[in-house]
Amino acid sequence: MKISRRDFLKWSLATAVALNIELDMDRVNTVLAAETDPPIIWLNGAGCSGCTISTLNVTNPATIDNVLTSKISLKYDTTLMTASGNTAMQTLDESANTYKGQFILVVEGAIPTGANGNYCIIGEQNGSPLTMQQAVLKYGPMAKYVVSAGTCASFGGVSGTSSLTACKSVSTILNGKTTKPIINLSGCPVHPTILVQTLIDLSLGSAPAVDANNRPTKYYGVTIHKKCERREAEEVKQPGVYGCYKEIGCKGPQCSNVCPSMKWNNGVNFCITANHPCIGCANPTFPTNPLVDAVSGATKKVEKKG
Amino acid sequence: MSTIVLDPITRLEGHLKINVTLDANNTVIAAQASGGLYRDFENLLLSRVPKDAAFLTQRICGLCPVSHAISSAKAVEQVAKFTPSLQGLLLRNLIQGSNYVSDHILHFYHLALMDYVKGTQIHPWAPTYGKDYRLSAADNQTLADNYIKALAIRRKAHEMGAIFSGKLPHAANIVPGGVTAIPSAADISKFKSYLSEITTFITSTYQADVNKLASVYSDYYNIGKGYGNLIAYGVFDTDANGTKLFPQGIVTNGTVGTFNQSNIKEYVGHSWYSSQSGTNPASGDTTPNYGKSGAYTWLKAPRYNGQPFEAGPLARTWVSGDYKKGVSVMDRHMARYTETVKIASNLSKWISQIQVGKSGYTEIGTPASGSGIGLTEAPRGALGHWVSVASSKISKYQIITPTCWNASPMDDSGNVGPIEKALIGTKISDTTEPVELLRIVHSFDPCTGCSVHVMSPDGIEMSNFVIQPLGV
Repeated sequence: MKISRRDFLKWSLATAVALNIELDMDRVNTVLAAETDPPIIWLNGAGCSGCTISTLNVTNPATIDNVLTSKISLKYDTTLMTASGNTAMQTLDESANTYKGQFILVVEGAIPTGANGNYCIIGEQNGSPLTMQQAVLKYGPMAKYVVSAGTCASFGGVSGTSSLTACKSVSTILNGKTTKPIINLSGCPVHPTILVQTLIDLSLGSAPAVDANNRPTKYYGVTIHKKCERREAEEVKQPGVYGCYKEIGCKGPQCSNVCPSMKWNNGVNFCITANHPCIGCANPTFPTNPLVDAVSGATKKVEKKG
Repeated sequence: MSTIVLDPITRLEGHLKINVTLDANNTVIAAQASGGLYRDFENLLLSRVPKDAAFLTQRICGLCPVSHAISSAKAVEQVAKFTPSLQGLLLRNLIQGSNYVSDHILHFYHLALMDYVKGTQIHPWAPTYGKDYRLSAADNQTLADNYIKALAIRRKAHEMGAIFSGKLPHAANIVPGGVTAIPSAADISKFKSYLSEITTFITSTYQADVNKLASVYSDYYNIGKGYGNLIAYGVFDTDANGTKLFPQGIVTNGTVGTFNQSNIKEYVGHSWYSSQSGTNPASGDTTPNYGKSGAYTWLKAPRYNGQPFEAGPLARTWVSGDYKKGVSVMDRHMARYTETVKIASNLSKWISQIQVGKSGYTEIGTPASGSGIGLTEAPRGALGHWVSVASSKISKYQIITPTCWNASPMDDSGNVGPIEKALIGTKISDTTEPVELLRIVHSFDPCTGCSVHVMSPDGIEMSNFVIQPLGV
C-alpha cells in the first residue's frame, strides 16, 4: 500500500478528531489544513461512473488515498461522499458559493437536454428536481476551471448517440459561459493519470496547452499507433492472435491517448496488448458504427465535434 | 404523518431518490424509490454490429462492465449457436471474478461502511450524520483505517483482472467468441501474486470487519427484510456444459425452486413510460413519458410470476447453499463477504487450469439473424440481455439489470419493489438523520446507472425466441 506515514497520520488523526479523542492541537491543525487543499466539485450526468472507478484506480502521480487526503479537497462527489439528501445538496451549493472562482468543476457523463433535462435528475434542491443541465449551467460559470472527465462529457460519447435524450457535451452546454476554456479529458473511461495530474496542475495554477479539441497536448498529442509496441509486428486478420490490427481497422492510427506509453491499471496492460484492436474510445467520433471497421478504419479522419 | 425525501442517495452509482411516509410513531408506512436517469440505450444499439454490443453495454455501468460484456457476448453467441472454449470461459471467470472482488470490497468499505463508521472529518467524509455510531473508538479507528487499505486492495483486484482484460473498468477483449487474451506464464504468475495478497485481505481484514459490524449492529439482522423472494440467474461457468459456481434458481418462503426466464414480465404502471405493461423482455416496447400521472421513476418493475424478487449476493448464496441464514440488511453484508471468499478461492482454481500460450478466442463471424438471451450475474445481482439480429445487425436489444429488480417501483397490481418493501416497517429514531434508510438502501448495493432500462421500440413475437440454455 502506497500511503505515506504523514498521510496515514492525517487520516487517523482526523478520525480521532471526529470521535473527540484527546489530541494536541498542532497536529489537529495539520489535519484541518486538508480543507485548504484545492476544492473539487464532481458532478455525474448521463454516464456510467466508469471515470469515477478509473480515477479510484490511480497510481501515478499518487494513489487515491493520497489524492483525497493530501492533494485535493473533494467537496461534492456522490460516489464517495458520506452525506446524502439535503445535506449533500447543501454541501454542493455551499461549496460552490464559498469557493466561487476557486473550485474546479469536474463533469462526468454527458448532459441530457431532451424532456427539459429530466432524463437526468441529480437531486432535489429547494424541493424541486435539479437536472444535470441546470446544475452544470448553475455551477459551471462559478468554477475557476471546468474539466470534462471522459468521452461522454468531452464529446457526448456513448450517451451522445441517443437522439431522444439529446445529450450534449460540457463545452456545448457551457459555450461562452466560463471564465476559462473547458478542458476535455477524453477516454472511455478517462485514464486516471491524465485526470489526477490535470487536477493537480490546474490547482497549481498552470493551465495545459491544448489541441483543437481542448485536450492537453501532452496526453493527446501522439497517436496510439505511433507508440504501439505492436507497430512493427506482422499485420494480422483477426483479434485474438498476436500482431498488429491495423488491417482489420484498429483505431490506433487515428486515436491519441497515453495507452501504449502509460498502459492501464498501474501499467499492467492495454487493449492492443490484450489482443484486440483499439476502438478509439478517446475520439470525438466514439462510438463509431461499427466500432472497428476493416474497410475504412485505417483511412477515416477524426473530425472535430463539439 | 410526515415524509422524508432523500435525494440524492449517495455512495452508489447513478441517481437514486427515496421518499418515505412515516406514521405518528416515525415508522415507515410507505416508500418510493426513484431512478433519476434514462439513457435510451436502444437507439444506440439498434442497427449496430452485434459484437459491438459487448463494448457498448459495458458503458451502462462502470461498476459492473465485465458482467454486461459477458451477458452481451453470451446472447450473441446464442444467436450464433456457439459456446466458447473452456479456456475462454475460464478467462471470463478470472476477469469477472476479479471485478466481483474489487466491487464487493468497494461496496463494503467505501459505499456502505460510512453509515456505521465515522471517518476523517474532511470532505468527502464530512459532513455526516452524528447519531448511532456504536463502535468503540478503537474499533472505529480500525475500520476507518481499513477503508484506506481497502482502496488499495480493490484497485489491485482491478489490476489483477486487467492482466487478461486489457483494462478495467471497461474490458477491452470480452467478445462473442470468448476472450482474446493469450496468457503467458508471466501473466499467470502475476495473477497469482495479486490473488495471494487480495485473498489475505479478504480472509483476515474483511472477515474481521464484517463480523465486527454484524456483532455490534446485530439488530440489523431484523431490519430491511423485504419480501424474502430471491432470484439468481447463475454465474461463473465451470465447464462448457453450463455448470455454474453459483447456480440459477429462485427462493420463495425459504425454499429453492427452478428458474425459467419466460416467467419474467415487466410492468410500467408507475414508471415514466407509456409502453405496454406486463410483457416479457422479448416482447416489450418503450415510449418514455416523463411526468406521466401516477409514475415516479425511470425504472420499470420486473416481476417473476407476477411477484417482486430481490437479486444480489444473498440470492446467489441462498440458491447455492453457501449462506442462507436470513434476509436482512446484515445478511446481505454477510452473504457478500461469504461470496467474496468463495470467488477468491475459485480464482485460485481457475488460474491453475489456464493454458499458457493458448488464446481464449474463436472467430465466429457475424450471425445473420436470430435471437439470443445472455444471462449472468453482476456483483449486485441477476443480469440479462435479450438480443435479436436481422440482416447481421441488431434489430432489438433489451436488458434487465439487478437494480431494476431491487429498486423497481410499484407494479400494476400494487406490489411495491423490493427496496421499497424493505424500507416499510422501519422505525426512524431521528427523522432529521434517517440513517436507518441509508443502511437499508445501501445493503442492496444499488446501481442506478446499471438500472437504466433498455427497450426496443419494436415488438417481437415470443415464438421468434429460442428459449433454451445455450449450454454455457
